[in-house]
Parts: sequence; C-alpha cells; structure tokens
Amino acid sequence: MNDFPILTILVFLPLVGCLLLVPFWRSEEWARRLAFGVGLVELALAGWLTFAAPGMPQAVGAPAGFLLWEDLPWIGRFGIRYTLGMDGISLLMALLTAFVTVIALAVSWQGIRERVALHYALLLIMETGIMGVFLSLDLFLFYLFWEVMLVPMFFLIGIWGHGRRIYSAVKFFLYTLFGSLLMLLAIIGVYLIHGGESGSYTFALPALIQTRIAPDVAGWLFAAFLLAFAIKVPVFPLHTWLPDAHTDAPTAGSVVLAGLLLKTGAYGIIRFGYPLFPQAAVSFAPLITVLAVIGIIYGSWVAYAQDDMKRLVAYSSVGHMGFVALGIAAWTPVSLSGAVLQMVNHGVTTGALFALVGMLDERAGTREIGAFGGLWGKVPIFSSFFLLLNMASAGLPGLNNFAGEFLILAGSFRVSPLAAVLAFIGIIFSLVYTVRLVQKLLFATEQRSLPLVDISLREGGILTVLAFAAVYLGVHPAPLLGLLRVPVGLLTGGMP
Amino acid sequence: MTIADVWAVMPLMILAAGGLVVLMLGAVAPGRHGTVVGVVALLGAALWCLASPPEVGVPTLGVSLTPFARFFTALFSLTAAIVLLLSRDYNERRGIRGEEYPATILFAVFGMGVLSSASNFLPLFLGLEGLTFAFYFLVAIDRERGESGEAGLKYLLMGAVAAAFTAFGIALMYAGAGTLDVASLMKALSPEGKANSLILAGAGFLLAGVAFKMSLVPAHLWTPDVYQGAPAPVVAFLSTASKGAAVVFLLILLPAVGGVEPLRIPLWGLSLLSMLVGNLAALLQKNLKRMLAYSAIAQMGYVTLALLSGKVDGYGAAAFYLVAYTAMNLAAFGAVAALSGEGEPGEVEDYRGLGYERPFQGGVLALAMFALAGIPPTAGFTGKFFIFAAALRSGEIALAVIGILTAVASVYYYLRVVVNLYMRPAGEDTVAGRGTLAETFSLAAAALAILILGIFPGHLMELVVSLF
Repeated sequence: MNDFPILTILVFLPLVGCLLLVPFWRSEEWARRLAFGVGLVELALAGWLTFAAPGMPQAVGAPAGFLLWEDLPWIGRFGIRYTLGMDGISLLMALLTAFVTVIALAVSWQGIRERVALHYALLLIMETGIMGVFLSLDLFLFYLFWEVMLVPMFFLIGIWGHGRRIYSAVKFFLYTLFGSLLMLLAIIGVYLIHGGESGSYTFALPALIQTRIAPDVAGWLFAAFLLAFAIKVPVFPLHTWLPDAHTDAPTAGSVVLAGLLLKTGAYGIIRFGYPLFPQAAVSFAPLITVLAVIGIIYGSWVAYAQDDMKRLVAYSSVGHMGFVALGIAAWTPVSLSGAVLQMVNHGVTTGALFALVGMLDERAGTREIGAFGGLWGKVPIFSSFFLLLNMASAGLPGLNNFAGEFLILAGSFRVSPLAAVLAFIGIIFSLVYTVRLVQKLLFATEQRSLPLVDISLREGGILTVLAFAAVYLGVHPAPLLGLLRVPVGLLTGGMP
Repeated sequence: MTIADVWAVMPLMILAAGGLVVLMLGAVAPGRHGTVVGVVALLGAALWCLASPPEVGVPTLGVSLTPFARFFTALFSLTAAIVLLLSRDYNERRGIRGEEYPATILFAVFGMGVLSSASNFLPLFLGLEGLTFAFYFLVAIDRERGESGEAGLKYLLMGAVAAAFTAFGIALMYAGAGTLDVASLMKALSPEGKANSLILAGAGFLLAGVAFKMSLVPAHLWTPDVYQGAPAPVVAFLSTASKGAAVVFLLILLPAVGGVEPLRIPLWGLSLLSMLVGNLAALLQKNLKRMLAYSAIAQMGYVTLALLSGKVDGYGAAAFYLVAYTAMNLAAFGAVAALSGEGEPGEVEDYRGLGYERPFQGGVLALAMFALAGIPPTAGFTGKFFIFAAALRSGEIALAVIGILTAVASVYYYLRVVVNLYMRPAGEDTVAGRGTLAETFSLAAAALAILILGIFPGHLMELVVSLF
C-alpha cells in the first residue's frame, strides 16, 4: 500500500467536487467555475503523478509492474476488496481522463444554458467512474465503476442532447448494459472456478490470473468479457449504438464519450480479457483481427458518405478504434504499445474534432457539411486549427495519430501481414473523408451566408492545448512509450 | 402462559397492544394521534427485537423468538413505521379517515411477527391469514373511490381461494405425518425421510397458496389490479411486507427440509415463469403502479431463484434481497404517494418533468428505478449479485442466464420512468403534491437504505447468512 491514498483521491476527487457544487445549484457562473476548478486540480494531480510515480519506490505488496497500489478489505463474505492499482498503462489512461474531462468542462461553457450545475455535476461524476474503471484491480470494484459510468452519460445525452436524444440515450444504455451483465456472470464464473480450485474465494485480479480454467469453459467466459468490451470499443458489428449516441449527445458528452468511454473497452480487453484467459484470447485473436480490419475500412467508408459533421466524426471513431483493436489482437509488445498510445492519441484528436464541430454548430445552428464553405477566409484562426487537427486525425506523419498507427501496423505485420496491409488501405480511406471534409468546409465556395465569428479566447485556449498535444505526441512520443515498456512487456511476455 | 413466556414474545405483545390502543384512541380522541402511537409501538417492537438478549424462551404456543424471527419482525415493524409516516399526509389529502388504518397496520405486523416466529404449522398459518385479513381491509379502505373497493374485492376472492389451498395443504401434510411441528414434518420431505403421497400432495397445495401471496406466475393475476386500485402507501406495504412474509414462510420451511430436491421442479418453473412474464408484461404497461406490480412479480422470480439455490448462501441471498427489495419498493411507491395530490398520477406519462418540479421526490423515484434495475451502487445491484452468485454456485446456470437477460429487458421500463422524470418537459396535466416532513423523512430513510446497502452490504450479508 502507498503511504498516501493518492489513487483514492484521484478517483473520488471529482465526486467530492461535485458535492461542492450543491450550494451553488442556482448560480450558473459559479457552477461552471467550481467544476472547472475541480477538473484542473484533478489534471494537476494526474500530471504530477505522471512525472513523480515512475520515480517512487514500489508500494509494498504491489504486484510486478505496478507503481502504486491501494488495497483495503470491503465485503469479506465474497473476498471482495477495494483494490486500486496504477501501472504505466493506467497512468496514461488516468492522465487522458483528467485531460479530456477538462476539455469537456471548458467546451460547454456557452453551449449549455439550462440546468447548468447538473450538467457539470454529471461530467464530474463521469470522471470518477472512468477513473475508477482505469484504476480498479478487483473485478467486483471494476464492474461497479463500469456500470456507474453509464448513468451520467445516459442523462447527458438524454437531457441536453439533440435529435433523437432519448432514443439514442436509451439505446446506448441498454446495448452497453446487455454486454456488461453477461460479463457479470462471467466474473462470478471465474470467481467460483478459482475458489473451487484453490479454496480461497477472491475477486482480486492478480490472484484470478493464476486460475487454471478448462479450455471450453474459458472460451465461454472470455466470450462474455469480450462481448462487453467489444460493444464499448466498438468492434464491428457491435458499433450500431455509437453513431446515434455520438451524434445526438451534447458537445461535452460527445467529447467524453469518444475520448474516454471507448477507451475503457479497449483497456478492459488489455487488463482483464487477455490476462485472465490467455489461451482463449489467442484463439479469438483472428476473429478480432478480421472484425477490426472490417471496422477500419467500413468506418472510414461510411464516414465519407455522411452529411452531418458529427456523424462523420462518430464513424471515424469506429475506424480509429478498429486500429486499436487490431493492435490489441496482434498482442506483440510493439503493437500493444502502439494500441495504448493510439488510445491516448485518439482521445486527443477526437476530442478536438468534436469540440471543433461543436463550435461550428453553436454559431451556425447546423451541422450539415453542405451548409458551409469558404471558412478559410471567414474564420482563419478556427480554420487553421481545423486543418491541423483533422490532419492529425487522418494520420499525417509528424502528428500524433501517425505514431500510434505506425507502431500498430509494424507490430501486427509480423503476426498477420494481410491484416496490416488492409488496415493500411484503411488509412487511405480515412484520408479521403478527411480531405473531403476539410475541402468542403474550408476551401470550397461559401454555400450559405452564416453568421460566423472567429474563436473566442476560451475556445482558442482549448484548441491550442489540443493542437499542442497533437504535435507533441506526434514528434516526441518516447516518454509515453517509456512508461509503457514494463507493463506491456509483462502483459505480452506472459503469453504462450 | 407464564410470565416468562409473555416476556419472551414481548415484541408481539407490544404490537397487539399497540393496535388495541390505537383503536381505543379512535373511540376516545380521534385525530392524528393514531399514527404517532402506531409508529411508537412499531419502533418499540423493532427495538425490542434488535436489542433483546440472545437466549430465547420457547413457549408451548409453537412460537419462539429466534434470531431469525427477531430479524424479520424488526424488518416488518420498521417497514410498517415508514408506511405509517407516508400514509399520514396521503390519507389526509385523499380523505381516508379513522384510526382503523393505523390499527389494522399494527395487526398486520402482528400477524407477520407470529408467522416469523412460528415453529409449528398452526401459528404459521394463523399468522399468514391474520396479515392477509388485515390487507383485505387496507386495500379497500378508501371508501370514496370505487377502484379501491374493487381491488379489495378482487384480493379477497383470490385470497380466499389461496387460503383454502394453504389450509388444505397443511391438513394433508398433517394427515400424512401426524404432527404439525415444522421441523419434524419437513424432515419427511428430505432425501432421508419417508414422504408418502399425502405429504407430497400437501406440500404441493401449500406451495400453490404461498405462490399466490408471493404473486409468482401463474398465481399472479390479482397483483396488477390490486396494486392499481389500492392507495399507494397500502401498495407500498403490500408489495414489501406481505410478499416478504410469504418469502419468510418459505424461508422457515425450506431449510428444514435439508435440501430443496422435492420442491425443486415447481420452484424452478415458478421462478422461470415469474422472471419472464413479469418483465415482459411490465414492458407493455402504461400505468406506473401496474408496471411496478409486474416488476414486483419479476423481482419475486429472482427471490425464488435464490431460494432454489438453497444451502446457506441461497437463503441468505433471498433474505438480503428481501431487505433490499423492501427499501426499493418503499422508495418507489412512497414517491408515488408523495407525488399524489387529490388524485394519483396514473400513467408514466403523467410524471413528465416532475424530476425538476419536485426534485427530492423525483430523485428518490429515479433512484428506486435504478435500484430495481440493478444498477450499482444501489442495493438492487448487490442483491442481484448475491442471488446470481448463489445461483451459479449451486449449478443453476440456465436460470441465471435467463434471469440476467430478463434483467436487461427490465431496464427498459425502469428507464422509461426516469426518461419521463428528467427528459420530457412537464405537461399541463402533471399532478404534483407538496412534500411534508413525514413523507420526506420516510423517503430519505428508504433512499439511504438503498445506497448504504449498495456500498456497504457486508454487514447485512453476514447477518442474514448467520440466520440459517
């Protein structure tokens, strides 16, 4: 255990901060400022940890590869413990969570007019849930945070969304819950098998990894886990909830949904799916690879056909997460590092894209691509950010997505050359829709005369930070990769 | 009866005396005092149960206050206390007057207490019928509205048939075994016992009667109509304590059998049908109370799954879920009662926008919906987890998978309420009552129980498992 419960604070600080909002429920300005303040404190904490944690002595009792570890008894009857742990992978994810949440808090400053305090409170509760998912090492605790994540997002989409918001919110909730509940049965299954074998009933991940499970049973259990995570990532064909949820959600909701929620699915496969059921995972890998490649190509193809900007970005997320899934399925150190790096990158770029689209929507009242044109001349600062961040999303070398995609392709080429080649073709597809979007919005002739003002100071701040992240991660991803070396090595080294 | 016997069954004495005192008050000083005296009596009984020393007298009445009995008597007393607090203002708004209401509630809890403490079939049956009689009155108590009387009549007619089944079942078992003592009689059904056809037939009839009280499919037909017609606090009491008493009935009988084998097939069938029919029918309902009625049917299906799992964990899971379910249903129906003005908002649609107009009551209703759906960190989640863990442990994999799938389906109709509360603007015909102190207190108590049992279930889990 660490001496200081830093992980507990990291997880629950947003929730406590949310309680601070209660006295200011009626005051919009104060609610915004307080929530943003809490988000910044959380980001500072996560940032500090990124620099300090690798240098700290390893906590007593922590398993190999874990920098920080907090472990307390909770529900003794079932051997459920309150266990939080952080290794290089979860450190990056925690940092991403804090970062994207700050972006989400900042981006909805003007756009949300009703029930403002509730909106910000829900964003903070989401942060607690997502942070908990990334840091839990007890299967029961993980499951609890996994389900808790759904509720605030459901409200965010349903109350402040547009279009068919209620339909999208309910669809999102039910679809995800379906996978989760089957995963619950599998979790209980692993728990019982382990208990029957070793006599000690526990939900702790390091202990459960040691269980020997019969291959056919392991296959079913892995399938249940995979289903829940594959719905979240999303892996084709389980992606159909995503376009509706992303499109109909408010801007902050989309940023968190695409930036963070999708990553929890990928993280789940890495942290729980593969370690618990190594042989079953290897036998499922070809299926995941095929679906990932289909997702990359399909996602990009359909994105090209979209007229609604938000829907385009949503389908592009399907494509990008297909890359992440490919990297995970290959399960080599290079491809897995690339996948985790790409998770961070995608969080940054897709958050940026949704923020940009949200800014256009706020000004023009429409998200139709056909309604815009000639933005380069009208709003030059916005357009330059738009161009840069879209190029980052498309995988231009020197910007962040390229580094991640390159590593994934290099790592998976050794395992499955055909998949890597097809995925590479997918990059070309994603370039196609990106160029179309950029061309139509920025350089084509103006379609309607819309009242567009250039970005404000706040929006400029958000976009600058995002652009800086995109460039930095593209040019100098080495520190992040350094953090990943040990945990990725441990995960892939344990594979037969 | 000796003085020692009276002392041993003191909680039951307190309840009975309380009921009589309230009735007398009605004759002497009618007013609001009935509720106060009733709550005091109930809390007194609950405190006595929880605080009394471990050794227990066993009077010759076949009633003994074991830890099991004390736990459930305390649970039912506290439930009734919350219901009384909820009813006070609701009854005033609806014009239900008279001390008969709190007195009957006390008598009902007395019946539940007798049932929980029974070690002989006679007090077991008398307790069950006593509480059912009290409910016949309570369901029909709203004299100004025809639907209440109609519900009461329906409940009476079907309840009479169920009572006949139960009595006949007990009589057959007595004829077969020659004793009314629960432990010895149920031994005959165990794998080592000699169960002749009379005992088996009796057990079957008995199960049918209990299935009616628990509203398991196919004995559930009375539930939606009665829940729709009766006043909301009465439904809160009916759905929690009355069903709970039926579950306690089975919790007394099944562990004594020593293995659930002879009753396994009927219990399996009842659980499956209740989970399926309850959840699927609830999807079609437009009226909130009817929807909650079908949801209660499905919840009892999960409890039956726990009972089926037997051994120590299954019964413990059933008892835990009973407590969780009590908190959730009290919150749900309590919120409905608190949100009623002159008339109750009937359809789910009528709750549009109430999440913002009445934040506290709407919030408690939403919390109850999430809890019933089994979303963490609520008691509904830990309860379901406990049940499914016990089910998988005892090998009921098929039923557990079906249960999980129906649970997913059920989320849809629970979400519909939340959607209406928060995501739709209020219409002109939205009914909203004012919140009073008593109602707020009861709702807060129920909501707190839901959250505490969701985050720290360990203590209660240990407690209920130790009862078996």
